[in-house]
Amino acid sequence: MPLIEFQDISYTYPGSKQAALDSLSLSIEEGEYVALVGRNGSGKSTLIRLLDGLRLPTRGEASILDLDPRDPANARALRSAIALVFQAPLDQIVSSVVEEDCAFGPENLGLPRAEIEGRVASALTAVGLGDLRRRQSLFLSAGQQQRLAIAGALAMAPRCIAFDEATAMLDPQARAEVLDLMDSLNAKGMTIVHATHDMAEAARARRVVLLESGRIVYDGAPSGLFLAQECREPPALERGLGLPPAAMAALALGLEALPGEKLPALAARIAGARRGQAASAPAAATCAAEVPAVAPQAATPVAADRRPVFVVGDAGYFYLKGTANEVKALEGVSMSLAAGSVTALVGRTGSGKSTILQLLDGLAFPSAGCVMAFGEDTVAKATDLRRLRMKAPLAIQRPESALFEVYAGDDVAFGPRNQGLSGKALVARVKSAMEKLGLPFEEYRDRGTRGLSGGEKRRLALAGILALEPEALLLDEPTSALDPATRASVLDLVRSLAAAGRTVVFATHSMEEAAMADSVAVVAGGRLAAFGSPAELFYDRYDPAWGIGRPFACELTLELRRLGIPLAPDAHPLDIASLVTAFAAAHGVAAAGAGVGGRA
Amino acid sequence: MRSLEFFRNVSIGQYSGGGSAVHRLTPATKYLWLFALSIPAAAGGPIAVVLSLALALAFAVIAGLSPVFFIRGVKPAVPFFFLAAIMQFLFGWPGDSSAVLVAIGPISATLHEAEAVAMAIGRTVSLMAIIGLFTSVTSEAEIAHGVEDFLYPLARLGLPVHRLALVVSETFRFIPVVAMELESIVKAQASRGADFGTGRGGPLAKARAYLPLIVPVTIRALERAEALSEAMEARCYTGRGRTRLVAYARQKGELLVDLSAFIAVAALFAADALLKGVL
Repeated sequence: MPLIEFQDISYTYPGSKQAALDSLSLSIEEGEYVALVGRNGSGKSTLIRLLDGLRLPTRGEASILDLDPRDPANARALRSAIALVFQAPLDQIVSSVVEEDCAFGPENLGLPRAEIEGRVASALTAVGLGDLRRRQSLFLSAGQQQRLAIAGALAMAPRCIAFDEATAMLDPQARAEVLDLMDSLNAKGMTIVHATHDMAEAARARRVVLLESGRIVYDGAPSGLFLAQECREPPALERGLGLPPAAMAALALGLEALPGEKLPALAARIAGARRGQAASAPAAATCAAEVPAVAPQAATPVAADRRPVFVVGDAGYFYLKGTANEVKALEGVSMSLAAGSVTALVGRTGSGKSTILQLLDGLAFPSAGCVMAFGEDTVAKATDLRRLRMKAPLAIQRPESALFEVYAGDDVAFGPRNQGLSGKALVARVKSAMEKLGLPFEEYRDRGTRGLSGGEKRRLALAGILALEPEALLLDEPTSALDPATRASVLDLVRSLAAAGRTVVFATHSMEEAAMADSVAVVAGGRLAAFGSPAELFYDRYDPAWGIGRPFACELTLELRRLGIPLAPDAHPLDIASLVTAFAAAHGVAAAGAGVGGRA
Repeated sequence: MRSLEFFRNVSIGQYSGGGSAVHRLTPATKYLWLFALSIPAAAGGPIAVVLSLALALAFAVIAGLSPVFFIRGVKPAVPFFFLAAIMQFLFGWPGDSSAVLVAIGPISATLHEAEAVAMAIGRTVSLMAIIGLFTSVTSEAEIAHGVEDFLYPLARLGLPVHRLALVVSETFRFIPVVAMELESIVKAQASRGADFGTGRGGPLAKARAYLPLIVPVTIRALERAEALSEAMEARCYTGRGRTRLVAYARQKGELLVDLSAFIAVAALFAADALLKGVL
């Protein structure tokens, strides 16, 4: 008997004409590990909410644990057996104390106190929060809050946990912790359903379900989604989802892609293939030392002749200054960002990235040191902050909290209006900004901002910034929680702005994105831990204590070097395409399938 | 003040987290004393007001907290004291025949009016100190659970005490949420040219700039509340048949503390009546 059985179900949100789920059939057995993938707005979240009867199908047959979810008497049994973990950590924490939050579910089940205590203790220990039981939940890090949400689910003693993009807002380290937790729970027999935009995460599952406009278009092993068949592109690429980096690298190097393969296994396979080749054709083997040097990454140096747009001098910042909960957010940060440069801010959640962006924009003022933007001191009385902010506007982290007008067109027009634009000039400006973000003006101008999908909200918020035609852009995690295609379009926009000479500073948790920048600033514990070109930082000065991880191509290069398959000593590839080029240069191997890998 | 950090100005729940005898009282007892002190402060005469303030400050000392902290907490209310005084002196009491203290043109300050002003200020200072003390020694979780424990007798009469406690605890949960959303929208607007935190414009212009934010902030708060209620439903919340993890152990002699709360109310009102006759 399957745990969950949906037959030809549909779901339409109240007041909507468009079905969010459309004649969908799905059956999930106990103990499965299912990844749910698809574009923003494809119906993943809706499907997750149908799994435990939180929402009921408007049409079709549903049976969960052999019970009918439409019968209200079954609600408690279903919700305690199928637990949900959502995307935003703060929106699922009910109580201000860690252990009390964990106890919320069992309390609702009316369990006796001793039983609740036992469950809370073991759930908190399982997620590694055993020592923080009495801590205020508001003061946990985002990763800890998400683990608390998982503990809250575990305390219900469920048979299945469904995660709705539960890793999207976490930094790489916290994300890895949550993913490991999922794996270990599944190994103990827990059914896992995981909706995600990250293909490497999806490839960890044993089964992938791909949704498109509320329908299932693929349901099967990851291999079928990520591997090319009959000379066609892998379905995941065709559908704009991208591939897990390991699969991408394998294909690009002319190897078979194995979904779910981890980096060390791939490196060993490359090493094995390389040795096999060397043994069969020793003449073709080239000594690494004789290999012509591959041009190093063209990291734009922060040229002295280029005028700096932002200068931060020994800046410090306190949150909640003067209160009992005063927190030092930044200390002794100094950096200089040249005009036309692209800088990535990386670091763990809470390390101070957002604070730096706000200091640059004059939205926060340093409590020590100084911040100069366009040659003006942000604290100086004479500085026209309004004008300064509009020259370098900040796109704040959560786009849904950045949109304030009722209609999309008005929201984009807010900035240009403040610049004094009106009439035709205003419309032209708004139109061009919206269209650059792929939001056709006529179609979107009168759409309500609240009804937009997550990806559309993000693009609209960026259009609002772009409409100012600013000299510099400050972007706080502009790609978080976006599907791969939307993410790629946002990154393309950043590239084109940089090419047009705009200065861009962006915060990110993705090291592949950071590697695109001219320079990377690593923020750790409120201090600038390192500042330099991506190649320099990830290859020469990398410190695991930063808690940020490295780009996949960098990790693979280092692992290959460890296995005795080095690239040229000065080759520092940061993306898979340049890894393939460097590999071919060093080992004379044709980079078969580089076309596919080139999408890195 | 050019800072755009709103969370900083939220002073509710400045819980001090000490381990004193006052901190260790069960929340229900703290609620009992909250009412035992604030009822005389709000409804009693001048003696009751002064004595309830004195008792609150005595509790503060036992809790290891500085009484000055609670007196200083009144500072933000000072402009309102002036406003109250002006209103009193501007509009006379009907049939007020007490002595005129000061008169400027048609506006005069009588003894009766001066008394009324002093009482209003006294009551406010006392109540603020009492509530400040209560939140200093009671954590958010205790405040919520305390409602449930304190009103427990009424639950037997069918009052939804569980839900009331949840409302209290979620109210506290949403104070930082609303502050955060307000901060987000202000920053989003300021970065696109809205006039926030630029140090320009008078107080009226500043206040007016916040008006258009009420709707988007409310909508965001409702969206957040909806997300939270969904998460609660997913964890089987129905509001019925709940049990609770946290139980508060009563200290030895806590019954005495409870009883003395009732004695305190009676004593404060009695002192008021008696001493009034003497003075």
